[in-house]
Amino acid sequence: MSETPTYIGFEAYTGHIPPSIPSAVQQATARFAVGRAARVSELPQFEQLRQIASDIRLHTIENMDTYLLRFEEKVTAAGGHVHWAATAEDARQIVLQIAREHNVKLAVKSKSMATEEIGLNHALETAGIEALETDLGEYIIQLAGTGPSHIIVPAIHLKKEEIAAIFSEKLGIDAPADPIELTRIAREILREKFLNAEMGVSGANFLIAETGTLVMVTNEGNGRMCTTMPDLHVAVVGIDKIIPDWESLTVFLKLLARSATGQKLSTYTQFITGPRRAEGEFGPKEFHIVLLDNGRSDVLKDPIGREVFKCIRCGACANVCPVYKNVGGFAYGWFISGPIGAIFAPQMLGTPTARELPYASTLCGACADVCPVKIPIPTILRHLRRRVAEGDQIAASTMPAPIAAAAKLSALALAQNWIYRFGARILPPVMALFTRDSWISSAPYPLNRWTKSRPLLAFTAGFRSWWKNRNAK
Amino acid sequence: MTNPVIENIRRSLGGQRPPYNPRRGLGPRPAIYESRRPESVDSEIEQFLDEVRKLSGVAEKLSADSVSDALKALVAKNGIRKATLWHTPLFEQLGIENTLRSLAVDIISPNADKHEMAHCDLGITEAEYILPETGTLVLASSAEKPRAVSLLPRLHLAIVRPEMLRPDLHQVFAEHIGRGEASLRPYTPDYLVFITGPSRTADIELTVTLGVHGPKNLHVWIMVKNLTVAFD
Amino acid sequence: MPKAQLFITCLGDQFYTKTLQNMTVLLERLGVELTFPHEQTCCGQPHFNNGFESQAREVARNFLRAFGRSDASIIGPSGSCVSMVKHHYPELFPAGTPEHALAAEIASRTFEFTEYLVNVLKVTDVGAVYPHKVTYHASCHYLRELGLKTEAKTLLNAVKGLEFVPLNEEETCCGFGGAFTVTYPEVSRSMMENKLKNILASGADTVVMCEPGCLMNVAGGLHKTGSNIRAMHIIDLLSSK
Ligand code: SF4
Repeated sequence: MSETPTYIGFEAYTGHIPPSIPSAVQQATARFAVGRAARVSELPQFEQLRQIASDIRLHTIENMDTYLLRFEEKVTAAGGHVHWAATAEDARQIVLQIAREHNVKLAVKSKSMATEEIGLNHALETAGIEALETDLGEYIIQLAGTGPSHIIVPAIHLKKEEIAAIFSEKLGIDAPADPIELTRIAREILREKFLNAEMGVSGANFLIAETGTLVMVTNEGNGRMCTTMPDLHVAVVGIDKIIPDWESLTVFLKLLARSATGQKLSTYTQFITGPRRAEGEFGPKEFHIVLLDNGRSDVLKDPIGREVFKCIRCGACANVCPVYKNVGGFAYGWFISGPIGAIFAPQMLGTPTARELPYASTLCGACADVCPVKIPIPTILRHLRRRVAEGDQIAASTMPAPIAAAAKLSALALAQNWIYRFGARILPPVMALFTRDSWISSAPYPLNRWTKSRPLLAFTAGFRSWWKNRNAK
Repeated sequence: MTNPVIENIRRSLGGQRPPYNPRRGLGPRPAIYESRRPESVDSEIEQFLDEVRKLSGVAEKLSADSVSDALKALVAKNGIRKATLWHTPLFEQLGIENTLRSLAVDIISPNADKHEMAHCDLGITEAEYILPETGTLVLASSAEKPRAVSLLPRLHLAIVRPEMLRPDLHQVFAEHIGRGEASLRPYTPDYLVFITGPSRTADIELTVTLGVHGPKNLHVWIMVKNLTVAFD
Repeated sequence: MPKAQLFITCLGDQFYTKTLQNMTVLLERLGVELTFPHEQTCCGQPHFNNGFESQAREVARNFLRAFGRSDASIIGPSGSCVSMVKHHYPELFPAGTPEHALAAEIASRTFEFTEYLVNVLKVTDVGAVYPHKVTYHASCHYLRELGLKTEAKTLLNAVKGLEFVPLNEEETCCGFGGAFTVTYPEVSRSMMENKLKNILASGADTVVMCEPGCLMNVAGGLHKTGSNIRAMHIIDLLSSK
């Protein structure tokens, strides 16, 4: 799952979704959506916060260079090391190099999208370094060898019985199918790992330019473990995580947990500025941060598409997305799923790889209603569809030729209204051949893709003649 | 030194960008950045305790004289055999360490090796600030106040005072980055952590389970009486 | 006397003859003087929503020609098509061009049917009688792009004999989404099945909505399951006596 996909076949996947996935995913999304709604209703300024959050993000995106350089300066002043990674490969090499210098054999990881994005685990393993996910859900899917099915609860697709079986098989123990027991087992195993790891790897939720501070939000405490126990802390963070200052952080912290899980704040929010300063204190002796570009700076060219970088990864859009709820996270083929995945992957990986994703939506708009930073997701989806269909300055069209031809032909007919009206006279008698009792239960291509799921109404097309006769009288 | 990432950002954002202005697009400073005005210390304390309880924490109001008894009960009820705690004047004054020793609890130095700390049943800290709206403890870090004390033991006890109450994040952040020498501002200590309830997960079938990596139990005692003299 | 042009939409044209007749009769009964620009075809939304913007522009030009010669209101039985004209037409043409000006002018006088009744004519009771248990599905573009949250319910509220029952997940998409139904048929079907599940659970014998697309989807789904719950366009319900 950590590999960069070369083609994301949404349709191919959705043709055979295991039935357990939608039901499991819907449990999680319903829980979070209800929690979110409750928190939002308690906070009268919520709408105002969203607008300010959006403004701050846009401002930061438009001045990303300024803020990143300030961040670098402040981290350096605090005794930390800043590395710039233009590509995923650069980022992997930087982390590997640091690990080698410190003779790392075991790295403990706190959930991080950026390391998923660069496939860091695989790179570390290849170099003979054990890389262990420590977020419970991530640990489970790492043992299971699958990817995440939900942004917040990555192993939601697995039942406790399946998890017990995975634990029993992979850990050689007798694990009961009980969430509390399974959690206890994981705690014990991972605690040893935290204490013995030479390197902690994390991502970040925000980077504060003002003071060079990395902000991490977690519930389990594994994020604290990873950044407190080992002597070396390496954070890999996308450059889009930068925010100007602590004052603006207040806005994002008020929005994040409420939108994500329906908590007011997550259990642990930590603020890390460089390595530990006090002798006798815990925390890393060395602090490194890898600022990951990997195509983001190219996406900035597109003033519509780059709003994707306002995202704070709360997952609220997925929790209300009817498509996501029926397909689950795997369908999106990369580490970010749901509506945000559908606008992120096509821009980061390119439309040749992810051209199906912008179409994985009914444009119902539920996502934009809840997004705490007001990303106009439907607008960006349409914008990317245009890139796929017609091509734009960023990429040439990748629409299969027959579909493009059909679109052109149909538009011609609709734009020249006599063709349309002529067609509208032919269609009803033709379709009548397929019609029984006012319903068409199997139509010829391409309407068979409709009638596969439900019958189609008979083509009546009687209004025009009715109007004409009526007004002729 | 050239930085290809920054250069490409600049290329993409284009040359016709308006010059950088820290508040461009943000409009006048929104009222949302002003701190909330609390009603009274008492109501703030009640709200704080209430929020901690909602998060499955145990929260109590205590006076200095009742601390020993409360510790006794805590130790007995939770089978505490090893404990670690911050070195602070308040704890000295309350005689926490002596009370624990008298209860036959092993005291581990908060600067001890992590492997040793990991076996503590109880970690006792204060807080820099507490936030009533969310039931949050804000802890800083120093040699006397190591961060592992609130992380490794299975039970975390925070002993806090009403003086630590802050209306909200705005006040906390403003004070936090105002620390250190004026010439260095904005400046921030190397570490700060917000603790809002005990460690939790819902990763297996959405069953909420406490104590996955951090402490399973969170107790908060707020000292309300007989301590006024000690407050600065 | 208010004047209006009928915007019948291509789906209405092909599939909903009766609904369009009812719309005509209803509006005339309310004293609206109607015309029907017969050059109209489709609003171009299928092209626009699928990324074929140039094609959408061609189709939109036909619409501008058909409806541009009058200053009467334009009334359509579909939230989605109305939203296309209202919100997206002006985006299709560069600002400052005559076409843009025309698109903006047309957008300003285009209304969805219930919107026109409640907000323009200020009519909430059309004298309909429908003694049934009715539930309501809020179509996405009607709800979110046009922001019509209360109009349909206000009208239903005044219908004699009608007992309104709420629909769980009323605002969740039914899985129509235009070309989506044929691009990802399996996903569309599961979404539709969720919607049907909620409709069945509501206890209603009729489900009503303001969108021909959703209606085709939901009615088709109900027909396939053999359910005798009726899926209706709100216009048809409001025309019941
Ligand atoms: S797009 Fe918006 S709602 Fe979705 S994850 Fe990002 S911030 Fe949250």
